[in-house]
Amino acid sequence: MTMRLVAAELVDSRQILPGQWLQSFHAPELASGSRAGQFVHVRTGDYSGLVLRRPFSINTADPATGIITLHFRMVGRGTEWMTRVREGERLDMLGPLGRPFEVDPRSHHLLLIAGGLGMAGVRMLADEAIRDGRGITILFGALSASHVYPSSLLPDEVEYVVATDDGSLGHHGYVTELVPDYEAWADQAFACGPQPMLARLAQLAAGRRDRLGVAKLGRKRGGGKSDPLGSAAARRKSFLQVSMEQTMGCAVGACLGCTVIGVEGPLRVCREGPVFAAEEIAWPASA
Amino acid sequence: MKAKRTIITFGDMRVGKDSDRSKRTPTVRKIKSAIVAVDRTKSPAGARPRVETGSSAVADLGAPTAPRPTLAEQAALDRIDLSIDLAPARGASEHGGLILANPILVASGTFGYGVEYGEVVDVQRLGAICCKGTTLRPRAGNAPPRVTETPGGMLNSIGLQNPGVDAVIEKYGPIWQTWKVPVIVNVAGESIEDYVEVARRLDGVPGVAGIELNISCPNVGKGGLQFAIDRDAARAVTAAVRRATELPLLVKLSPNVADVRPIAKAIEEAGADAITAINTLSGLAVSPDRTRAFLGNTYGGLSGPAIKPVALRIVYEVAQVVSIPIVAIGGVTSLDDVLDFLACGAVAVQVGTAIFADPELPVRLGDQLRAECLRRGFDSYRPFIGTALPKRTGASSAKGVEYRP
Ligand SMILES: Cc1cc2nc3c(=O)[nH]c(=O)nc-3n(C[C@H](O)[C@H](O)[C@H](O)COP(=O)(O)O)c2cc1C
Ligand code: FES
Repeated sequence: MTMRLVAAELVDSRQILPGQWLQSFHAPELASGSRAGQFVHVRTGDYSGLVLRRPFSINTADPATGIITLHFRMVGRGTEWMTRVREGERLDMLGPLGRPFEVDPRSHHLLLIAGGLGMAGVRMLADEAIRDGRGITILFGALSASHVYPSSLLPDEVEYVVATDDGSLGHHGYVTELVPDYEAWADQAFACGPQPMLARLAQLAAGRRDRLGVAKLGRKRGGGKSDPLGSAAARRKSFLQVSMEQTMGCAVGACLGCTVIGVEGPLRVCREGPVFAAEEIAWPASA
Repeated sequence: MKAKRTIITFGDMRVGKDSDRSKRTPTVRKIKSAIVAVDRTKSPAGARPRVETGSSAVADLGAPTAPRPTLAEQAALDRIDLSIDLAPARGASEHGGLILANPILVASGTFGYGVEYGEVVDVQRLGAICCKGTTLRPRAGNAPPRVTETPGGMLNSIGLQNPGVDAVIEKYGPIWQTWKVPVIVNVAGESIEDYVEVARRLDGVPGVAGIELNISCPNVGKGGLQFAIDRDAARAVTAAVRRATELPLLVKLSPNVADVRPIAKAIEEAGADAITAINTLSGLAVSPDRTRAFLGNTYGGLSGPAIKPVALRIVYEVAQVVSIPIVAIGGVTSLDDVLDFLACGAVAVQVGTAIFADPELPVRLGDQLRAECLRRGFDSYRPFIGTALPKRTGASSAKGVEYRP
């Protein structure tokens, strides 16, 4: 669906974790026209001098009910304002924006990797994959048990594996340490979270072919002429797609404010992204 | 095959809806039945003079809007003349002036090349489009992050990322050519030769209606001193581009100077058709952990409502020393802002940062200006221009920034 300005009515708002909110909006155009990985740019009240919209991943979208959800942390005045919007009020949303995750039709097993709020970036892909009959495992990393995304908010079909930095729940350590156990099982991986996490995953993904041997991969994908970097076809063939974040102005590709550095030059997160194949990004060497 | 299965289930960890309710501070917040960019009924120009509250993003589709104008009212609205020639001096030449259907433009760098907002904005109803800064060769721009919000505004350090003038002409020229809205190409460079060469290549390109020189760029020939803060360089670059092209020529002032008036005069004398003012103010933001500057480029340009008083002051000063048209830029978010700038001597305004929150604003401002003319009984918006300027010459305010803090 092409982007448009939509009046989205708040129908439910709750704090699902300390400082983290899940809000449901009635916005049929967005609910039926969006794909996993896309986002909306939400206008906040400008009573306090806030001049920019706030971008949010579309956390879930249900065409049947016309409901989309957004999951966010209260980090500043814009998100604080949002937590105080009352049911029945309508927010001005521009969307759906950006390019979605690209799932290869031949992929049976999808690995989703989320760090903290990154869950919002991949959450909708779980619904799409289940609808399409694919197996889903979500690896989730958080600081501690109290920051772990509630499993009750995930579909039953999902296998949910947790890592916490302090070991208070699940694996003691980083979520990236769980990945090697799943890299043979997974046909594709999709990640969203802090930049160092994504950089580490990109590093793991780059070495995967060698570790697993190319025979299997050669049969399933690869081979033939290569698709241009950044094309939907190339992304489908890539093992790892990441959803990136950057501060934004326009969110439609007009201001060039949201770039990240790609191997072929600057990339607009709002237009070429927010989803990229890991190979498109020039990851910092320190990762 | 999956290696490890660590399936974790939870007790009810979530904070229920009711408990979070009780945490909420009951707020007495008046939701103004608003404006907002969600009224999709595209009625003819200025049809619904609406109350612009500008203070809430809460969209209320059920809000009563002013009734559609009667046929007679519509005819009266249609008679109001919002057109303006930004290059009246060109009128005599074969290329003619730069005539806009209305005085609301979109500012360079905030509206891309006019295509990005797609169907969200009806570009044909804009006065003109100033495209992103264009240089001779492609530029990759500055290190990210490049934008951040500040109180009442934002900082940007895009660094003139653009594909170079040839690619701009090739990619967008054919599109612009089909539009009735004039496109003004914003031109940047690091030497006079750069500016001249870009202007030459734009000259005669169908779809290019004019040039706006962004002179807030370091002048490599003068050790990086910005053209915009150096009167002689501003004069020289304007004169050189004037000789290189017949296109209407606008020159954009920087506010980062002690006294802008000698610079504005030099630009007028060098043959500019109009002056646009202002570009962003130099600023800085600190990273959240306070270990460095937030922007990848350290410094950024401040824009948005926060800079409106500065822009007003500069327009007010410049209007008293030049006689070419002035296009005001800086923090426009409402009809009141437009009227303020007109009162200080501008003949048109550009909308920049406000587009990000409200992409339909520029088109709506045109409609509102038309409705305001009707309400005041004017048949054009000209009576709004210059009303706040000093009535006598030699007034102390004509001397420039003079205030006692
Ligand atoms: C993201 C961004 C990019 C800009 N890029 C340019 C540019 O390329 N050339 C230019 O002359 N001005 C540029 N500007 C300045 C604007 O055209 C305008 O002068 C300034 O933002 C003040 O207007 P505003 O307060 O309405 O935004 C840019 C401004 C912003 C916010
Ligand atoms: S936010 Fe403006 S180009 Fe991406």
